[in-house]
Parts: sequence; structure tokens; C-alpha cells
Amino acid sequence: MPSREEIAEMIRETGLDSLDSLFSEIPTDLRKRSLNLPEHVTEYGLIRKASQIADENKWSEFTNFMGCGSYDRIIPASVDHIISRSEFITSYTPYQPEVSQGLLQALFEYQSTICDLTEMDVTNSSMYDGVTALAEAVRMSYRVNGRKKILLPETIYDSKTAVINSYVEGLPVSIEKYRIDRKTGFIDLEDLASRVDGDTSCIVVENPNGLGVLDPNVTKVHEIKGESNLISYSDPVSLGAVLPPGKYGADISVMEGQPLGLHQNFGGPYLGIMSFRKELVRKSPGRIIGETVDVNGKRAFVMTLQTREQHIRREKAMSNICSNQALMALASLAYISILGPSGLRKAALMTIKKSGDLRNRLQKIRKDSVPVSGTLFSDVPVTVRKPESLKPALMKNRIMGGIPLADLSRSLSGEFRNTFFFSVTEKTEDSDIEKLSKVLEVVL
Amino acid sequence: MSYRQATYDEPLLREFKSGATYEIPGTVGDAGSMIPDALVRKDLNIQDVAEYDVVRHFTRLSQMNYGVDLGFYPLGSCTMKFNPKYADLISSMSQFRDSHPLADESLVQGNLRIMYELQEYLKAISDMDAVSLQPLAGAHGEFSGILIVRKYFQDRGELERRTEIIIPDSAHGTNPASAAMAGFDVVEVPSGKDGTVDVEALKGLVSEKTAAFMITNPNTLGIFEHNIGKIASIFHEKGALLYYDGANFNAIMGHTSPGLMGFDIVHFNLHKTFATPHGGGGPGSGPIAVKERLREYLPVPVVEKKGNEFHFNYSLKNTIGKVSSFHGSFGVLLRAWAYITGNGRDGLTENSSVAVLNTNYIAHKLSSVYGIPFKKQKMHELVISSASTGKRAMDIAKYVLDAGMHPPTVYFPLILKEAMMIEPTETVSRRDLDEYCRILIEGAGKDEEELHKHPTSTPVGRIDEVRAARDQKLNWRS
Repeated sequence: MPSREEIAEMIRETGLDSLDSLFSEIPTDLRKRSLNLPEHVTEYGLIRKASQIADENKWSEFTNFMGCGSYDRIIPASVDHIISRSEFITSYTPYQPEVSQGLLQALFEYQSTICDLTEMDVTNSSMYDGVTALAEAVRMSYRVNGRKKILLPETIYDSKTAVINSYVEGLPVSIEKYRIDRKTGFIDLEDLASRVDGDTSCIVVENPNGLGVLDPNVTKVHEIKGESNLISYSDPVSLGAVLPPGKYGADISVMEGQPLGLHQNFGGPYLGIMSFRKELVRKSPGRIIGETVDVNGKRAFVMTLQTREQHIRREKAMSNICSNQALMALASLAYISILGPSGLRKAALMTIKKSGDLRNRLQKIRKDSVPVSGTLFSDVPVTVRKPESLKPALMKNRIMGGIPLADLSRSLSGEFRNTFFFSVTEKTEDSDIEKLSKVLEVVL
Repeated sequence: MSYRQATYDEPLLREFKSGATYEIPGTVGDAGSMIPDALVRKDLNIQDVAEYDVVRHFTRLSQMNYGVDLGFYPLGSCTMKFNPKYADLISSMSQFRDSHPLADESLVQGNLRIMYELQEYLKAISDMDAVSLQPLAGAHGEFSGILIVRKYFQDRGELERRTEIIIPDSAHGTNPASAAMAGFDVVEVPSGKDGTVDVEALKGLVSEKTAAFMITNPNTLGIFEHNIGKIASIFHEKGALLYYDGANFNAIMGHTSPGLMGFDIVHFNLHKTFATPHGGGGPGSGPIAVKERLREYLPVPVVEKKGNEFHFNYSLKNTIGKVSSFHGSFGVLLRAWAYITGNGRDGLTENSSVAVLNTNYIAHKLSSVYGIPFKKQKMHELVISSASTGKRAMDIAKYVLDAGMHPPTVYFPLILKEAMMIEPTETVSRRDLDEYCRILIEGAGKDEEELHKHPTSTPVGRIDEVRAARDQKLNWRS
């Protein structure tokens, strides 16, 4: 900010009477008389105040079994360091590519790495979060084939259905849910096949799904999808060991990128990861970085295919997205690169192992305490016999977890009214599992 | 000129072969055999790089990237102000940063307090009555706001006939895109001779079909729509709603507000007005605020206070539902809370005053060389045209790059030829303002052939964008 003296000079030089005269275009009756906020505080005072408020959060005294869309994973120290680089974090969308090659190359590498991870053809340079990316994928499918039926698994969280509903509000489409087998937690392929017809726009599959299950039947859906689009929603860390969507015929793949080195941050900023078949690129939303050359033939990167976007196509654009999650894309790229193939595979396998450990431990107490037989990834559903005692027991023993399945998917609240999620990652200690099991023993 | 950006022939990550060094603890045992056969992944062909190489790679890339911390960045409509470092520090406090979005409310009272206070702050700044922090970017706020328009008319049984949203031709591209995404037809109203909305033309467009009017004020030409009161009446008399695009809020904090102007729905761009880092394109954050009669339409949850306790309210009567996974981009909300708390009433008001002064100072300095259409007083940004100099806006932009500063937004708004949109914000010294104007004037005086050679101080020269679109090399496999 210019100094007081400079401000006075600038006012004079510009031919104004005062700072206030800069606002003379605002009619008097629209001038704000007062701004009802406290006076400014010093940096020291502000940080003190923020620390006090941070201390009002008590969760860190608890053992963590929270998941269901946001996971406490190991984050290499270098990830936060890289995204804190001031040249990255204080820049904006690379409208001037010559002076933004660093970010452009990093986003090109992000797109490439996600293509390698998912084995899909093309990845855009980020969406807001996993769920909005899913909703955009559903819209994209409608743009591609103009068909009206959207098939979702009945175990999908209500929050996802709600966001999809918001996103298709202006489209003539309808949502229908297909059955998930209660015993295995797998897609009921017969039920799904019976719902697919000539007006089906897309089939959404989740892996792991809303019951926490890794579902081998996702690999069969391409056989029954007909001309519709297969949209997969998967956990990116699981892909370290689990078959990627590109291998089972997904037309569009979306994921929540938070598990890839992003802090949980009470729900955001997260990262929507979106990939698709190359034939669909013109109908896709979001920014895309391409490789080209400069005037001297040197390799260079630039935003490309912008004629799909709002700043050029306005109401005819593929999406309204402008600001995206570039910095979070960078974080996920740094995370994947630092872990490498062996590290990512291990994070995935450790998650499967810990999920199995928790399941086995609880099934030792009561055989049918875990209601599904399929292999679990992170979110372990647990059915208890004394649900009313669960929360007090957890609070008393300082355990965070036990998100009610009925809160996540109300349509299943009848059969699963006594089922709660306890989630694990590679960070979960054996002693944590033991502690939880002891507490659950009383209510199980 | 002595500026030169660091230049490396930096290989792509997959070309490093040093082998990953990072260790995830634990023993996997036979976990691999627990994966169903059909789902076993055989190959994982991602880069295999030592951590030190990864850090060096990104550090070198960062040096080939221009940011606000390196210098003046007056990209019009983007409000590239200094991002205070206290906000980074606060948002990195583990109690905030590592908290789970679905944690029991009793365990995250600090988070809820931050959100509640931010809601109250935004109400005070905008003179609106209720806030939702859920939308994740400005355009996402627009879309959410237009969904409220839709639901409001649906509930009144008027959606069938109210199919149009009117938008000025100078509007940000997100406005028509958001309106169309929510299923409305877009009707464009032209700007008049003074750069503000042509009220007579507007009257001719408003009809029984009109659902809403979307506008930013000051508009994208940096001019205050002084007829806004009259415009609001025109729409309200027809039962239509007014939507305020808050992208240009940095012009008016403490001076006027969308609530006073008669708007029904507003979005804020926290990353612009409240200085949260733009992150190379995001994350942003786009909370929305509404007047009392639309309170029950907000996305859920909203944060409420009972006694000394904060809680989420998920049951608003007419809610449009949800627009994202959880309850907003908390890490960004926290930074904006810090910025508003730090600046206070006095600071925010002064920030807008100085942002507007800086703009008018630039206008004064450039007026002898550049065409400055519309004689109106400028607010937080101004649009100049290089047409008067006979030079292309893009050529001058590239000349500015070689001076180590960031060019204006070019070729926007679309209604003006060779447009260059300059938004200095308040966080710039007079020295930099003077230097910037000098460079713009100097560039305009160069002959065209010489301008075409710029930039030369960057790692690459001008880029073949046509080839990028034609070849579609969108990843390192293609």
C-alpha cells in the first residue's frame, strides 16, 4: 500500500479532492453508513486468538476411526513443503504461459500421472472435489448421448445423490438406483442388467462402494452397459493395488483426491479427479493442459481446448468451472511421486490389511458383527446389538468413529439401522484396533 | 530491463529413475491375497523417483512460475493482492488442518466458531441476512445461487414461465455459463454509451419470462452501475430476483453493499476480496448470502449458535440441498476469517479506498497514450484499449512480461477491442505503479516487429497454441 504521503500526492495528482470523492458515483442513498465489524487487530493478537479457537477443537484427544469420504493418511513432509512454495501458491491460472511454465508442466505431469494411475486416456487439470466431479461426469454423459436415465448404486451416500440432483436440476433426466447384494456387498448384476435400456445415459459404479466393499462385479458392468457410459468412482490410493477403471471399461473415471496427500481440513479444500476416454474430450468440463512448442521449437506447455470453457463459450460452455483446485492437484502429484509405485502399493495393501484386521478382531467377538463378506477398503461397517450404548461408550473411551450408515444412506436405514462405520488407514495402529475392539465388545 | 526468469530444461518426472525412497511403515503380510482375483492390479507404471529428486524437480519448476510474492500482478477481475502469511500459519495449525468433516460437533467447536463468525462477517460486509459457506469457488457460488432462483420460482409455481435470466454483455463468462447450467435461457443486455447497463434496453427485455438479473457492480469495466437502484425496482416489480456477482467486491467494502443496492442473492470470492492464495488456479471459495425471504433456500448445513455452542443446521425448509461433499473449503474459509479479523472494519474500508485510488492513478497516468473508453470514474479496475496505439494488446502484454511484471487481463471484456483490464489492488507501492505505467507506455511506442520478439526473458518464447489444440498431447503417453 502506498504511504500516507504518497496517497495524499496521488489524490492531488489525479485531480481528486479526497479519497472519499473516489466513491462519488455511488448514489448517496446507497452509501454504507457503518460496517459492523470489530476494529483491526495486530498479527500477534490475531494468531493468539486463532490459537485459542483452535484449542476449542477437542478431537485430537481422541483415537481416530473416522472416514467415509475423508481419510487420515500419512502425508510426507515434502508434500506440504512443495505446495507452500510461494511461486506456486501465490500464482493464478496460467493465462500467460511463458511466465508460468513451472505450474503448467506440473499440471501436465499431474494429468499424465493420473492417466497412468487410472489407465484412462485423458485427465483434466482438476475439479472442486470428488462428488462435484461425479456430478459433472453425469452431466457430461448426458451431453455425450442425450439419454435420460442415470443409474446409481443403492448404497451411494445421500450426499452424493444430493449433489448429483443439484447438478442435473436443469436437465430432463431421472435417477434410478440399482441393487447391491446384502450378503456380499457386490453389485446385483441381474438387477442392474434389467434396468439398462436404450434411454440409459450412464451407470455409476463405486469401488470401494458405500458399504466399504471392493467389488469384483464392477469388472462385469461393461458387458451389460450397452451404449451407456460407465462412470467409476474409486479411491485413488486403492489403485496402488486394485484394478484401475481403465482396465474395466470405464468411459469416465472420477475420484476424491483427498487421500493423496491432502489434509482433511474439516472437508476442504479437496480435489476432484476426472479422467475419460479421448473421444469424449470435446464434451468434457474443466481446464486441460497440453504440450506444444514455442516459437523456437522448444517444448512448452499451455492451457488448451479452451473453446469448451466459459470465458470463451459463455452460456454454451461445457461447464461454468473457472477457479479449480490446481494447488491440490499439485499436492496429489507430489504425494504419488514421493511414494512411487512401491509406496502407493504398500499404502493400499496396508489399508486392506488393517481393514481385515479390524474385521477379524470384531468377528471373533461376534461372527456376524460385520454384515458383508466382501473385502473391505478403509470403511468397515459394524453392526451392533446395543446401538443406544455405542456413542456414550465411544465418547467415554475417547474414540472418534461410528458414523451411522443410516445417516449416510437413508434408504438403507431399515436394514442397516444398527450399522456404523469404523475406518482405518495405514496409520491405524494395532493397539488402536485392540482398544476399539475392547470398547465395542460391550455393545456388539 | 534486467529481469530474467530462472530457466531449466527440466525433464518430465517420469524421466527421473532414482527410485522412490519414502517408506510407509508396517508389514503387509498376505493382504495382496485378500483382493478378489478380478480386481488384482498387475502393473503400476507410475514414476519411481527419490524424494530428493522430487523436491528438486518441483523447486526448479516453482522458479519458472510467476506469483504475487514475486511482484506486481494486476490481472483484471482476479484481485491478485498480497496473501498475508499469518493466514498460512493459522490454516496450518493441526487442530484445524487435520480435523475430520464428520467429527462430532462437540469435538470441533473451534471450527464451527470460525465458520459462524465468518458467516456473521460476510453478513455485515454485504448487508445480507443469511450465509452458506458451502460453494467451493465463485462460479460454484453462482450456480448455487441460480439453483435458489430456480427453487424459489418452483415453489411459487412460476418456474414454467420464468425461463430467462438477463445478463449484461460485459459480464464474466461464468454468469451465462452458470445460468445455462441451471437450465435457464440467457438473454444479453447491451452496455450503454457510458459503459453501464442500458436501462431503456433493459426495460424492453424484462418480461413475465424473467427469472433473474445477474450483474457485478462495479461492472467488469470498473464502472459503478449508478442506476442499480432503478434496475432493482424494474426487476422486483416483475417479481424477478437480483443476483450479485461478488467478483468485484474489493471496490466497495465499507462504502456500499449488495444488500443496500437491492440484491437478493450474492456470492463472494474469498480468494479475491479476502486475499486467500489463488494456488495457481485454485482452491477458491464462493460462499453465498441471501435476503431474509430466501434464507430457507440455502444449501445445508449452515452453522448456528445456541447459547455458547455452535452446531450445524441441516433442516432448512426449502433448501436446494447440497452442492459439494461437505460444508465448504474450510482451509480457505479459515484464511478469510483471519484476513477479515486482522484487517477489521477500518482496514477493509481503507483497502477498498486505496484499491480504487490506485486504479484512478493508473488511469490518469495512461490516459495520454491509451484509449480509456467511458469517461466515468473508475473503481477497483480499469479497461484500456491498445487500439489507440496501433498495437495489439497481446504484444504489449508480452512486452510487460520482460519487465518482470504480470500483464493485465487481455481481450476481456469481449465488448471492447484490444482490451487490457488492469486491477492493481491496494497492495502495491506507488513506485511499482509508476514503473508499470512507464512500461505500458514504453511498449506502446515500440514498433510492431520488435514487440513480436517478446518475451525473451522467460524459459520459453511465444507458444504455438494452435498446435497444442491440434495435436492434443494431453499427457506424456500421447
